[in-house]
Amino acid sequence: MSWEPVVGLEVHVQLLTATKMFCGCSSRFGDPPNTNVCPVCLGLPGALPVPNEQAVRLAVRAAFALGCTVHPRSIFARKNYFYPDLPKGYQISQFEEPLATDGKLEFVSAERGPITVRIKRLHLEEDAGKSFHDRVPGMTAVDFNRSGVPLIEIVSEPDLRSPAEARAYLTTLKQVLEYVEVSDCNMEEGSLRVDANLSIRPAGSSELRTRTEVKNMNSFSGVERALTAERERQIAATDRGEEIIQSTMLFDAASGEVRPMRSKEEAQDYRYFPEPDLPPLVLTGKWLAAERAGLPELPAAKRERFQERYALPAADAAVLSASRELGDYYERVVKAGVLPKDAANWVMNDLLALSPDGETLALAPARLVEVIGLVSGGKVSRQAARRVLGEMVGAPKDAALAVAERLGLLQVSDTGAIDGWVRETLEAHPAEVARYKAGETKLMGFLVGRVMKRSKGKADPKAVSAALTEALAR
Amino acid sequence: MTDFVRAAREAAKRLAACEAKGTHAFLAWSEAALVEQAERLAKNGASGPLAGEAVAVKDVIAESQFPTTCGSKILEGWRSPFEATAVRRLREAGALVAGKANCDEFAMGSSTEWSAYGPSRNPVDPTRVPGGSSGGSAAAVAAGAVTMALGSETGGSVRQPAAFCGIVGIKPTYGRVSRYGLVAFGSSLDQIGTLGKDVTSAARLLGVISGRDDRDATSLDRIPLGEPGPAPANLEGTVIGVPREYFPEGLHAGIRAASDRALARFKDLGAEVRDVSLPHTKYAVPTYYIVAPAEASSNLARYDGVRYGPRADGGLKDVRAVYRATRGHGFGPEVRRRILLGTYVLSAGYYDAYYRKAQRVREAIRADFARVFAQDVHALFTPTTPTPAFKFGEHTADPLAMYLSDVYVCTANLAGVPALSLPIGRDQGLPVGGQLIAAMEGEARIIRIAQALERAVDATAEVR
Amino acid sequence: MRVTRTDIEKVAALAELGVDDASAAELQRQLTRILDYVAQLSEVTDDATSAVDERAARLRRDVVDPDPLSRTPKEMAPAFKDGLFTVPRLGELDRGEDAP
Repeated sequence: MSWEPVVGLEVHVQLLTATKMFCGCSSRFGDPPNTNVCPVCLGLPGALPVPNEQAVRLAVRAAFALGCTVHPRSIFARKNYFYPDLPKGYQISQFEEPLATDGKLEFVSAERGPITVRIKRLHLEEDAGKSFHDRVPGMTAVDFNRSGVPLIEIVSEPDLRSPAEARAYLTTLKQVLEYVEVSDCNMEEGSLRVDANLSIRPAGSSELRTRTEVKNMNSFSGVERALTAERERQIAATDRGEEIIQSTMLFDAASGEVRPMRSKEEAQDYRYFPEPDLPPLVLTGKWLAAERAGLPELPAAKRERFQERYALPAADAAVLSASRELGDYYERVVKAGVLPKDAANWVMNDLLALSPDGETLALAPARLVEVIGLVSGGKVSRQAARRVLGEMVGAPKDAALAVAERLGLLQVSDTGAIDGWVRETLEAHPAEVARYKAGETKLMGFLVGRVMKRSKGKADPKAVSAALTEALAR
Repeated sequence: MTDFVRAAREAAKRLAACEAKGTHAFLAWSEAALVEQAERLAKNGASGPLAGEAVAVKDVIAESQFPTTCGSKILEGWRSPFEATAVRRLREAGALVAGKANCDEFAMGSSTEWSAYGPSRNPVDPTRVPGGSSGGSAAAVAAGAVTMALGSETGGSVRQPAAFCGIVGIKPTYGRVSRYGLVAFGSSLDQIGTLGKDVTSAARLLGVISGRDDRDATSLDRIPLGEPGPAPANLEGTVIGVPREYFPEGLHAGIRAASDRALARFKDLGAEVRDVSLPHTKYAVPTYYIVAPAEASSNLARYDGVRYGPRADGGLKDVRAVYRATRGHGFGPEVRRRILLGTYVLSAGYYDAYYRKAQRVREAIRADFARVFAQDVHALFTPTTPTPAFKFGEHTADPLAMYLSDVYVCTANLAGVPALSLPIGRDQGLPVGGQLIAAMEGEARIIRIAQALERAVDATAEVR
Repeated sequence: MRVTRTDIEKVAALAELGVDDASAAELQRQLTRILDYVAQLSEVTDDATSAVDERAARLRRDVVDPDPLSRTPKEMAPAFKDGLFTVPRLGELDRGEDAP
């Protein structure tokens, strides 16, 4: 029996606002614990929520970027349960009438090619505080700085068919959300969190069987590993004739295993009801149209445009559109006159090598363009250019030519000098010269190498090649 | 220039006299606190419409000098680190907080018998309840300790005690007064209301505390009501609607007599009295007792002993045990009953039949009022309560009987419309209240009509 | 609508309210009586098919402006250590469907 996994993902994303969802406290990460708190986010008696306009704006932007239908009227709702870091004993979220529904995310699955994953809903809610179970012995310790930070929850339909696809979904989702500057989507810092649902079924069938929930994954690779483990577990259990029980599985990154939550009580009843402290969230048609019009070009569109306009292969277009910043950088280099294919190589191979975290690009576009100019002008070899670039990172104000000179990397194109080295080389290797003239033309490489060595690497290889060819023809 | 300190000392004398009689209107007050506030006000050169006035504040309203216990053990000693907007506004108007008034626990009750700190006594007859849940506020005004007080309403908790104690109580339009700092019971129903020795006192206090507050998303986008106008000379051109559902066959004879007398006065003043119908009235109490406990069950979930308040400790091994012990011991029987009821009507399988249905019936009740007011009725007149003040212990054994005493008042909370109770006579020495209800944002109208009636009626006269 | 002992236990668990045996029986009785009373709402057939709330939420500008606390978390907490509120440890990361 061949089994296929059926996976859906619920992603919680923190929004890049200055303040929390329902109060004026700072939502900044990393401040001393319990210093960004107030009556509202501590759930003190008598406190009331007031929604953050920017959070709404960012949520709408994300919804449009994901192709959702944004509902002009949506309702906040209370999700009631008890937990030490949930100060009110309920979370303000959205339930029956969420902000947005019916979106999609498209990407290329390694197994299935281009696929579309449907997004069921996207809604606004507030985050809970952070619980630490191992800081104080025997106690759970809570920091409420995070309590009330704005979140959007993005729920996909169970359209994913493998752990790898789940990971690709997350990477694509992160890229889209970064493009529209809604979140920094950092799983390690907790600004993006993932819960997964997985079930299995006979390959090719369309039934939906009992699913489990998988939690506690802290990285995209962790998600892939956890889902792989859970898929295997369900397949093995089913092959043994066991039934899959609806349960919550926790991923243990250290062992790579999933295990059921020990003390799982009966299914939670959240008793959702419309939040009486908040009137409906109403967005005017004009406001929505403005937000939609203000969206930047999204990754998929940029990728296609790069392929078309710059005749780039799909893979290159994908790399260059990985972030808005990189895409803009590339286009500025092209605009400065560098051929698109060359610019692509320079940006992908040289610039990115110098920008290790991929986050900040090491050099301004104009500086890269300068160096490219030096190479095409024969002043520096392609290899030497890399060293010049590296040096310029530390000295961003210095002209490329000056840096190359300082490093002693300026090439010699002076024909006199080159002819001299060529002559010396030919004199030193008469056997190779004879063999070349007899037809072993691949010895050219060797000869070029000897000339370069004689010049201590300073000769322009193209000029050397030309001079050698001419000299050997005589 | 107000002599704040003298006003403070005189207020202290009045409070002491009130409490010395065993009224137990207050859970917390002190002469020192009054004087301290007075000195601060004097130093800041405070003035304002309530300058020097001592105002009692119901203990479900956050205030910084005294604990805010909500009449409950679960908040015993809780000193709020912020003040309610309504309290800030009355301070800005130059008033002093006289003290925290007793109330039924978390405002759930109609007699103050559910206060964890003991009931208050009706100053008119100390063997009887002052009403609730704002019973302490009403008693403080009726006993002359203060001339005005803040109370709160979810299902009539300002008007009913006002009627029982023979004073005035006003519930504003939902959203008229900020709920920021009012400890939540039934959020879609709650409003801070005012009590006063007469209509003008209650209206003045309402004028000061009302108005838009950006910290309350449900507060109306309106400026404060301001000072009430003078009492009108007559009620020519005013149409008073009398809903027949509020005057059933078996209505208490004393209540009926008082109401008839008041209606006669309205006619003497030149008003037109018209028979109207609010057909969904009989569904108000059941609707209320689904919606309010449901919201309360959620609002009271925050009392878990984690961040504030006393915590049941004693070597409890995990946090759930802490929750259950803290909440089991900290909440009294009526609160526990309502939390369980509310949890039940919101739970899976019951939500549609109970909560969702109740909100729909609520709309029908709202529509009843809207229809009547659309037909040129300026205000409705009804009894405030089905009986005068009952004796201690009369209803505590049967929760449902207690709930039924809210029948005439909870309709206005469900519909969100403003309502006022004023004393219209006595029955065997016990005060009887008459209620005026207006359309949304119609406070000025019912205040005006009440002022006229107040002048025309002898509130201390026997009605039969 | 008869409320059973199991019902009481279930809602008490959801509400984290310890209910002892003595109270449970009485609560059963009282809640049954109240629920029977409120069940008359099912008679109402002319209620609105959907209650539409015409209001629109007023939104707040995204500017740091917290309502200040006159007492700190440390001063209000029943238990506090190293800047954190503390409670006896919960058995496991058990918050139902939400990640910690």
